Amino acid sequence: MSTPFALEARGLSKSFPGVKALDQVNLALAAGEVHALMGENGAGKSTLIKILTGVHRPDEGSLLLAGEPVSIGSPMEAMEAGIGVVHQERNVIRRFSVGENIVMSRMPRKGLRVDWAAVRSEARRCLAQLDLDLDPETPMDRLSAAQIQLVEIARGLYTETSVLLLDEPTASITSNEADRLFRVVDRLRDQGKAVVFVSHKLEEVFAHCDAVTVLRDGRSVMEAQRLADHTRDEIVDVMVGRSLAALQVPDRVIDLTAAPVLELDGVSTSLGHRGVSLEVRPGEILGLYGLVGAGRTELARAMLGLGRITQGELRVRGKAATIRSVRQALENHRIGYVTENRKEEGVFLEQSVTRNIAVTVWSTLARAFGFVSGKGEQALAGQYVTELDIRIAGQYQNVGQLSGGNQQKVSLAKWLAAKTEILIIDEPTVGIDVRTKRSFYDLIWRLADEGLAILLISSDLAEMVTLADRVAVMDRFTVTGTVDNTHDYDAMSQSIIRLIHTGTAAVAAPGRSKENA
Amino acid sequence: MTAQNRDDAPRTATRRPGAVRRFLATPRFFLIVLIIALVVVIGALKPSFFNGPFVIAPLLTSISIFTVVGLSQLVVMSVGHMNLAIGPMAAFGAMFAGMSFQLFGLPLWAGVVVGLLAGAAVGALSGWIIARTGVNSFIVTLAMSFALIGLVPTVYSWLTTGSAFTVKPDGLDVIGRASFATLCLGNVCGTNAIPIIVVPTIVTMAILGYLFTRTRIGRELLMTGSNVQAAELSGIPTSRRIILVHTLSGVLAALAGFLLAASTGSFTPGIGGEFMLQSFVGPILGGTLLAGGYVSITGTLLGITLTLLIRKGLDLFGVGIETLNILLGVILLIALSADRFRLIRTRRTRAAAAVAPPDDTGGDPHPTGPGADKKEEVSA
Repeated sequence: MSTPFALEARGLSKSFPGVKALDQVNLALAAGEVHALMGENGAGKSTLIKILTGVHRPDEGSLLLAGEPVSIGSPMEAMEAGIGVVHQERNVIRRFSVGENIVMSRMPRKGLRVDWAAVRSEARRCLAQLDLDLDPETPMDRLSAAQIQLVEIARGLYTETSVLLLDEPTASITSNEADRLFRVVDRLRDQGKAVVFVSHKLEEVFAHCDAVTVLRDGRSVMEAQRLADHTRDEIVDVMVGRSLAALQVPDRVIDLTAAPVLELDGVSTSLGHRGVSLEVRPGEILGLYGLVGAGRTELARAMLGLGRITQGELRVRGKAATIRSVRQALENHRIGYVTENRKEEGVFLEQSVTRNIAVTVWSTLARAFGFVSGKGEQALAGQYVTELDIRIAGQYQNVGQLSGGNQQKVSLAKWLAAKTEILIIDEPTVGIDVRTKRSFYDLIWRLADEGLAILLISSDLAEMVTLADRVAVMDRFTVTGTVDNTHDYDAMSQSIIRLIHTGTAAVAAPGRSKENA
Repeated sequence: MTAQNRDDAPRTATRRPGAVRRFLATPRFFLIVLIIALVVVIGALKPSFFNGPFVIAPLLTSISIFTVVGLSQLVVMSVGHMNLAIGPMAAFGAMFAGMSFQLFGLPLWAGVVVGLLAGAAVGALSGWIIARTGVNSFIVTLAMSFALIGLVPTVYSWLTTGSAFTVKPDGLDVIGRASFATLCLGNVCGTNAIPIIVVPTIVTMAILGYLFTRTRIGRELLMTGSNVQAAELSGIPTSRRIILVHTLSGVLAALAGFLLAASTGSFTPGIGGEFMLQSFVGPILGGTLLAGGYVSITGTLLGITLTLLIRKGLDLFGVGIETLNILLGVILLIALSADRFRLIRTRRTRAAAAVAPPDDTGGDPHPTGPGADKKEEVSA
């Protein structure tokens, strides 16, 4: 070894009660390199990152920083050692300003007082590195999810770092914003920094990373290999541990003459939609594609009564419907909504699997005096645990203890248990690994084959092209057009992008900061 | 709830780890041990403790009343709210009961109904304001508390000369002051150590136990407490549930106020003055989570029993009321830290389990620490 690695981890092991999260993991980061860290959910990526940043301490193994052994006991020490991190979870204080959030780890001070001028200038410097034109005084809660993510990255740049760890930084931002992020990553590489990049998106990894380490079940099964020497399929095989057949899009037959079960006719809402029209037939998967902030989730919420329809008509099974609450949507119209924020809105982390699934059916299970049979709800929930192949130790288990993919299945299961006929699924596979993703696709197809009308919201174009039968494109709170899906990625992406741009051209740009190429 | 384990689906057939072991890890078990130890110690040092009519019966009377006070707080805690106005609401409800006896000459049952309805009304008002405005329950009930503290004595001074309603309808003393010694089957009479007043408390506990473990609404309350957004998006009418728990809290506060009045023999504006601290101590010691989503009704009884037992013990040793209050404060602090500690432990187990490989459902179930187990089910 001529030059020592910027950061090296040797033989790291970490156990949590009953679980070996990491088992003899090695990671070697060279300076001036973007290193991809890959693995399925639960493979140990986040645990590894948390050890490198002092959140957890390893049971075994050592860390070397520029060739010198170090011990990192707390996030503060990691920062002082020059290891910056952007965690997967949001770690911002919403009531504070952008500037305060960026410099929070080390507030510039004048004596005992905060040096506000320095706060602003430091924040501007970090934001400028991201080419992000944001006023440091802006309160965080005025930002979009993607902007918050970028501010988090800016915060990672605040302190002098030689190693920057990015844990799934692109999971919730648009490709435009991701490009901006990658320009920064390239710049950091040129400055001789080591960047760790955790992502489930193979395209990004292959486009921007130099080396790769793959974790599987807590072991490093591929260590610091040059990415150029490997193909995508090889990496996936190593991650999953076996060869996965290429994803087959099943032949789906949709009865196009069937009457739509869900129709929007020139709908405007109190959330800002204008003249939205679309229709979904039974057994059909209608994709709703758009950039982050296009108003897709808001449209779903308006249909569920969480926003008001101010103009136009919502028709369910041909009849005009006014929906005021989720309960009404479910009980009167059999509409269900699988949310994109699984942990915040989709599941009850501290409650059992049984209760999480049965929550929508208690009203039907209830008999005299509101009695709900424990056995009844358990049998019902058990049925969906089996049907969706939810991996649990037992139905008493708290949902908070399940992996992300299984939580997502629980979040879906409650709507199936409620026998919905129209299902709105919002970003079903965000943060879910390759293998679980495929089983989810199969599941969604199966549900559609069983006659459910599915409105699928996704920001992942590849997913859209794979899953949907037709794709409605949304931009700035209106539907700019609908295309039949040919399942040909290149052709589809072109026509979809074209629709987004027509929409943009037709509408004068409002104040919201957004880049358009 | 052993029935929970029966399960036909093969994948989930793994049995839940030992029910006994789980019980041993609950705060309830710890409380039982402490209570037994205290009874033994106090009894050994002061044999007069075992005097049925003069020590045990009054102690059980207070336990009965304060358990209802604790339950009044527990129902709002189930959705993660709190009610700082329990004392004044108790005074308000008792005032209406006393008024119906004194001014309208209503019989016992009718006066009780009027009192409980008055409690329901103020509780519903709190709940409605909270659900409607989204203001934190802490603030709304604090304001409600001030309003009632002002209102109740004013009404008493309008309507009475001695600031108390003292007319007793038939049967009031039976509920408030009699013991089972007055109930005889032939010539076999009950013990004079157990007051009749335990009956309404036991009935209340049974009803709430049924509500939280067996009914749709109880389940929906706990889900609302766990995650109000997810509850709303799962079709639970969370606003209505919030109004419901505050109404119920008002009813239980009024019941507690009535029981206290029945035991002392007069309806005064001072009723409920000691309720607030106790209302939190009982449920929290018993394992109910301040954050919502898990309640323990027996735990509340045990928590109340422990604090009142300590109080009685110190009383027997001649320790003054100030010391008692210091001790109560310390107990509450410990109970609150325990609450926080359990939350952290749950998070840890959760974090640990989250990194587990997705498909290790094989033989051994995930390690579920006691903290993790505790929240998922209600104990009656």
